[in-house]
Amino acid sequence: MESVQIPWLTAITLLPLLAALPIPIIPDKEGKTVRWYALYVALADLALMVYGFWENYSVKSHQFQLAETYSWMPQLGLSWSLGVDGLSMPLIFLSGLITTLAILASWKVNHKPRLYYFLVLVLYSAQIGVFAAQDILLFFLMWEIELVPVYLLISIWGGKKRLYAATKFILYTALASIFILVSGLALAFYGDNFTFNIAELGMKDYPLALELLAYVGFLIAFGVKLPIFPLHTWLPDAHSQASAPISMILAGVLLKMGGYALIRFNIETLPHAHIKFAPLLVALGVINIIYGAFTAFGQTNLKRRLASSSISHMGFVLIGIASFTDLGMNGAVLQMISHGLIAAALFFLSGTAYDRTHTLMMDEMGGMAQKMPKTFALFTAGSMASLALPGMSGFVGELSIFLGIATSDVYSQTFKVGIIFLTSVGLILTPIYLLSMLREVFYGEANTKLKLEGFGIDAQPREIFITACLLIPIIGIGLYPKVATNTYDVKTIQVAEKMRSVFPVIVEKQENNLNASLLSTWQSPGLIAPKIK
Amino acid sequence: MDFSSNIASQLNAGTILPEGIVIITLMVILIGDLITGRNSARWLPYVAIAGLLIAVLDLCLLWDLPEPDGFLGSFSSDNLSIVFRGIIALSTAVTIPMSIRYVQQSGTSLAEFIGIMLTATLGGMFLSGANELVTIFISLEMLSISSYLMTGYMKRDPRSNEAALKYLLIGASSSAIFLYGISLLYGLSGGKTNLMAIAANITDVSGTQSLGLAISLVFVIAGIAFKISAVPFHQWTPDVYEGSPTPVVAFLSVGSKAAGFALAIRLLVTAFAPLTEQWHFIFTALAILSMVLGNVVALAQTSMKRMLAYSSIAQAGFVIIGLIAGTDTGYSSMIFYLLVYLFMNLGAFTCVILFSLRTGTDQISEYAGLYHKDPLLTLGLSICLLSLGGIPPLAGFFGKIYLFWAGWQAGIYGLVLLGLVTSVISIYYYIRVVKMMVVKEPSEMSDAVENYPEIRWNLPGMRPLQVGLVVSVVITSLAGILSNPLFTLANDSVTTTPILQSAVVTQQLPQETITVSTQSLESDLDTSH
Repeated sequence: MESVQIPWLTAITLLPLLAALPIPIIPDKEGKTVRWYALYVALADLALMVYGFWENYSVKSHQFQLAETYSWMPQLGLSWSLGVDGLSMPLIFLSGLITTLAILASWKVNHKPRLYYFLVLVLYSAQIGVFAAQDILLFFLMWEIELVPVYLLISIWGGKKRLYAATKFILYTALASIFILVSGLALAFYGDNFTFNIAELGMKDYPLALELLAYVGFLIAFGVKLPIFPLHTWLPDAHSQASAPISMILAGVLLKMGGYALIRFNIETLPHAHIKFAPLLVALGVINIIYGAFTAFGQTNLKRRLASSSISHMGFVLIGIASFTDLGMNGAVLQMISHGLIAAALFFLSGTAYDRTHTLMMDEMGGMAQKMPKTFALFTAGSMASLALPGMSGFVGELSIFLGIATSDVYSQTFKVGIIFLTSVGLILTPIYLLSMLREVFYGEANTKLKLEGFGIDAQPREIFITACLLIPIIGIGLYPKVATNTYDVKTIQVAEKMRSVFPVIVEKQENNLNASLLSTWQSPGLIAPKIK
Repeated sequence: MDFSSNIASQLNAGTILPEGIVIITLMVILIGDLITGRNSARWLPYVAIAGLLIAVLDLCLLWDLPEPDGFLGSFSSDNLSIVFRGIIALSTAVTIPMSIRYVQQSGTSLAEFIGIMLTATLGGMFLSGANELVTIFISLEMLSISSYLMTGYMKRDPRSNEAALKYLLIGASSSAIFLYGISLLYGLSGGKTNLMAIAANITDVSGTQSLGLAISLVFVIAGIAFKISAVPFHQWTPDVYEGSPTPVVAFLSVGSKAAGFALAIRLLVTAFAPLTEQWHFIFTALAILSMVLGNVVALAQTSMKRMLAYSSIAQAGFVIIGLIAGTDTGYSSMIFYLLVYLFMNLGAFTCVILFSLRTGTDQISEYAGLYHKDPLLTLGLSICLLSLGGIPPLAGFFGKIYLFWAGWQAGIYGLVLLGLVTSVISIYYYIRVVKMMVVKEPSEMSDAVENYPEIRWNLPGMRPLQVGLVVSVVITSLAGILSNPLFTLANDSVTTTPILQSAVVTQQLPQETITVSTQSLESDLDTSH
């Protein structure tokens, strides 16, 4: 790998953090300078990303590019090692875009503005660091750095139950991230060569028991973040209590850290264990989709409903990465990107509605379409994207995942039919709860008790601009998915190949192969998983 | 002249030059106070700090001494002891600036306070290098007795008196137990006081490991555990921390603890080398209890000082992981952690002192809304507490990672897991304070913060406090990211210290090599006589 002259990734990762440091001493009146400053920093970083990737990133390679490695703490084996490939590059770009828009969306934050923008910029750096880290200890460090800013951002600028939500968030995530460290240490110390480098970890040969244990550890850690069904309970609280710009970042970027890490560690590093766990992942994915959809029905709070729909959508990612096909992997990454954009748009729009209504309870709203036609139009567009209307990015992502699981040759026919059937049930539920949300909020008679006040009744140009920045890529990807898939195609194909290449090994190792055990009569997917030995 | 230099070279007196500097500083302070009276408070603390810093500088010069044993082997100035003496001297040098204003405001004499504190420092420094039972006991008592005096320094405050009495009673009995333990050791080894000689002689008779040796081990550990306040020898800690003057608490939680760990390493690794398995077992129990109890009980505290007391118990539990690992990295992770712990804990105490100077309270609930009145204090306390909780990229994160890393490498998975889980618990109570200060709205401000006095740094004694605060906070935030020199220091001190090297070797090689290595060391000692 040839060394890059300019340390692009280091610059991209550290710029927001370093720029955050002088915020306390910038001369400022009522947060006006600070917000411009933060916006400029975010834009500069975004520009840096665009230019850096444009000049130096080749979509034809699945290798790590723009890689940099500096020894940081040799005694610990920790190195400042960054690199991007098809998996991380789109996500870094996504975090750049969403954070920049979130800063723009925070224009009206006038409560402790210095602290606010300081924390957002620190969070910005941590997100990019997570996606770019090529050293598992560095990854863990970045993962942990993000905790406190999010905690404070929720607990200071959040809704009524913000303290509860923030504490729940930090305890869940901190407790789960222990497993990253433990699994990482276990893998790093195994064998003769001690290393934290992710690529080198993937090349080691582990005994199956260790792989399975480490896999479980990673699954718990990332399952909390993604979230996966029994570990998801922090999410509706955190996402609904955070202020709209922070919800944008939470739903748009932080959830993707879970999906990204699942692919990076569970699949790339531990492919043997992944074969064992893949049916479980598919089952959990289905549970996520249906459970998320059903809970979304029960929510009367607008943001809680959106949060539940996030749980539902992230289920598709699980199915995609467990499908063992190019198409499924491709769809999983696309689904992450597309959900990042859609969820950010919807959370932002719910924030604009809240700014005017001062309530998030849907039964207190109603008939807002007449007074806020532009907001209504944008909200409808976002909802359509979320329910996977053809021509929008959500459709492409979910369709590839469906195709991936349907064409997958590792699962038995009955299993696949069952999974697809259940998933499509979830798919039918999605439009129902999203349309009913639109109906309750915008259609019908105007609620007389509802007072719309704030900065002009309908959406302002700034707000339309933010939503447009999110909707244009959504539609763009929907019409011509290659825009997005091109950037990571090579990588996902390689990952899928790697997954599949492990199969013969496993088959040889064991008397009864996976196919055979899956061919047994179909039971509920939850029961199948433990049966595979 | 010729005669005295001859004696000095025979005793290798240069090894205790740093302590000599501290003694001279102590003399200057006592005499200067006598001559100039009350006015001396203006310059005395700075003399003390300067003396301590010169001592630290001299410690640097003593690094890698070719002949580290002084006073016929009763004091060792090997690199391990140098690091620990440095930690203790530095902790006092950081504690003094924070005590000036505190002591003056209470209306007691500053010179006496600094004098006692320097004596305690001296005891701790000697303890870190003591290589012989009598020296160990004398320096331990020097440290303890001056600590008792300091805890009761606020004569008119009943809580301070209570703390002093409690500390004295429990401390004296623990000293007695410790003394009994080392007297057994003295007898069992056939009348040796030098640690190396003891190890060699115990090994000779180890075919029948006597009950006496086990009892002696337990008693010695009881004494050490009291100093590092490991559960179940921690009962004094919360009460003493709550009642004593806060600068004293700062010293007890860092300097005194570091001395205890130095003693633990030296005594257990050398004298009790044949019983490694047993003391590992006891310390594992101590670590588990300290981490669990310290972290869990800290959750329920309402007083800041009590919370920090339990947190310091828990931190001791984390450090013990490095001791049990028993490898090079294990010991160096201990040293590294103590180095960063010095700054983050003292930083936290500086903030607590500053807050109580301005408001007169230590209750956690009184910190509500401090962000609006005093951003600097809020920032400092937040950084130090988050660092104690192990949040990156602060120094405490790297310290903890290194401890767990070393523990994992040594194969003590259970302890590392427990350490990780309890450190997540600790995040909760540290962040609770941060939440109090930062999250609360102006309308939710506590009375103390509501009536917060105007921030004035020009009062006498405030400037050094500010400097101490800024220095600790800056080091706490940067020592993690730029920790390479600290890592190197900690590693070098371990790899160049003979006693630890032989201990690390003996853990990996069969039993015969122990006798060989210790005998060769003993013959070295014989030639030096």
